[in-house]
Amino acid sequence: MMRRSLLFVLMLLTLAVPALLAQNLTLPVKNGSVKFAVIGDTGTGDRHQLAVAKELAATRARFPFEFVVMVGDNIYGGNSAKDYDKKFATPYKPLLDDGVKFYAALGNHDDPSERFYKPFNMNGERYYSFKPADGVRFFAMDSNYIDDAQLKWLDEQLGSSGSDWKICFFHHPPYSSGETHGSNETIRTQLEPIFVKHGVNVVLTGHEHFYERIKPQKGIAYFITGSSAKLREGNITQTQLTAKGFDTGYTFMLVEIVGDDMYYQVVTDDGKTVDSGKVHRVGKVEPTPNRTAQPVVATGGSERKTPSKAIKQ
Amino acid sequence: MNVIRLFVVAGIACALNALPAAAQTAAPKPPTPKISTATKQKAAEKNANPDALVLADFQKRIDAYMAIHKEAAKDAPPLKETNNPAEIKTAQETLGARIRAARATAKAGDIMTPEIQNKFRRLMYPVVTAPAPRGTTGRTVKADVKEELKENSEERKEEGGKPVALKVNATYPSDTPLPTTPPQVLMNLPKLPEQLEYRIVGKNLIIRDVEANIIVDFVPNAIQ
Repeated sequence: MMRRSLLFVLMLLTLAVPALLAQNLTLPVKNGSVKFAVIGDTGTGDRHQLAVAKELAATRARFPFEFVVMVGDNIYGGNSAKDYDKKFATPYKPLLDDGVKFYAALGNHDDPSERFYKPFNMNGERYYSFKPADGVRFFAMDSNYIDDAQLKWLDEQLGSSGSDWKICFFHHPPYSSGETHGSNETIRTQLEPIFVKHGVNVVLTGHEHFYERIKPQKGIAYFITGSSAKLREGNITQTQLTAKGFDTGYTFMLVEIVGDDMYYQVVTDDGKTVDSGKVHRVGKVEPTPNRTAQPVVATGGSERKTPSKAIKQ
Repeated sequence: MNVIRLFVVAGIACALNALPAAAQTAAPKPPTPKISTATKQKAAEKNANPDALVLADFQKRIDAYMAIHKEAAKDAPPLKETNNPAEIKTAQETLGARIRAARATAKAGDIMTPEIQNKFRRLMYPVVTAPAPRGTTGRTVKADVKEELKENSEERKEEGGKPVALKVNATYPSDTPLPTTPPQVLMNLPKLPEQLEYRIVGKNLIIRDVEANIIVDFVPNAIQ
């Protein structure tokens, strides 16, 4: 009798737990939307990377993202075949086996020769763009080495991308409240005018080992996701930039684009949601050097004004 | 009368207070041009700018290096997209070994001659000491470079990476972060072929062969 009751309870739990977890998903999960994940500063091969990778793969059952954007520091330390295996192929094997594509940007810990590694989908280039679906275009940049050629390329590519959602991703954050690095102003000085000129909507970066959503700057939404394997606890300082920060756990980001809305949800390695909301594009604006970027309005995400050490969700 | 005395004393105090601050913020002097007599004579003969001749000489030396690089790459396994990272490593190492063999006698200053080094220091000086533009904190590129150096050094130690050996033909250690080269610096320096890149290591500027992962030559104390 006791055994039967125990079995019954176990069965109930088996059914109830996924249902409870599914309730945590704040994304609309609509048919035909563009679904992807963002991870950053991943390539350690340690238990933290594995834990995030495991949670990411588990989440895909409820949120079937088609690709993953990597914002740099993909392979820390050595770059032998063993390193690629331990720090990329093994942790993300379930996703790779399911046909999920990864698109990498180079971080300061990455050897530029990583661009020849096919699973990173960089086409042998240090900077490249891709269009996963109609209406959305991504621009991967090498923020370690922004020369004239790269700036010209970015200007031309953005200029010809029409009314698509324009999402740039690279390693060094132009805006950040990190104590260790902070805003990279030299990179901001070069890139921001081009972003503004062509109406870039969203910028995804890493480098700082925490999560931070920056208040929209000149009409652009900035996110830092650099804690998908490394963490600098308590590293977010109090600045006017932070819309939301989380520096006490390992995270990844889920994103869904539906029309003019981009929904995001930031999840920890143990499945807790630390930030969610949406970025709304305000109308369609023709690229012109004299106006600000196509404005975005962050809605739905809770705003915070205190350092993230205090944030517990 | 007392009021005048008070103003004088306050004035002296303010001036004394300002002195240390002025001493602290004083920018280092720009590097003095050092052009060899041979270049000066050549410039006089050709009625040319000596600096332009120095840069032309740099280009000639880079072209000579690239001829070696291309020759070495001919029979080496190509760097191409692959699912097997071992192939990338092999291609990089083979090319590096071939270039090293072809430049076995190469030494520091073969490409970056003393007058080219001096020209590079002069090209970098205004960029690294200029404050960042409006809308930023106004921190100089030099301050950014210094900060990144500190961060990279800490991260390298954390991960047990090797320090960069400032030596011609040395391999750039794969477990050491690659320092970011500020865009402003890149814009002020002569363009390099895509196989080569500038990187700032400490106060030094290195030219790195990206495909072979070796140090081609360097400018010591490039950041003044």
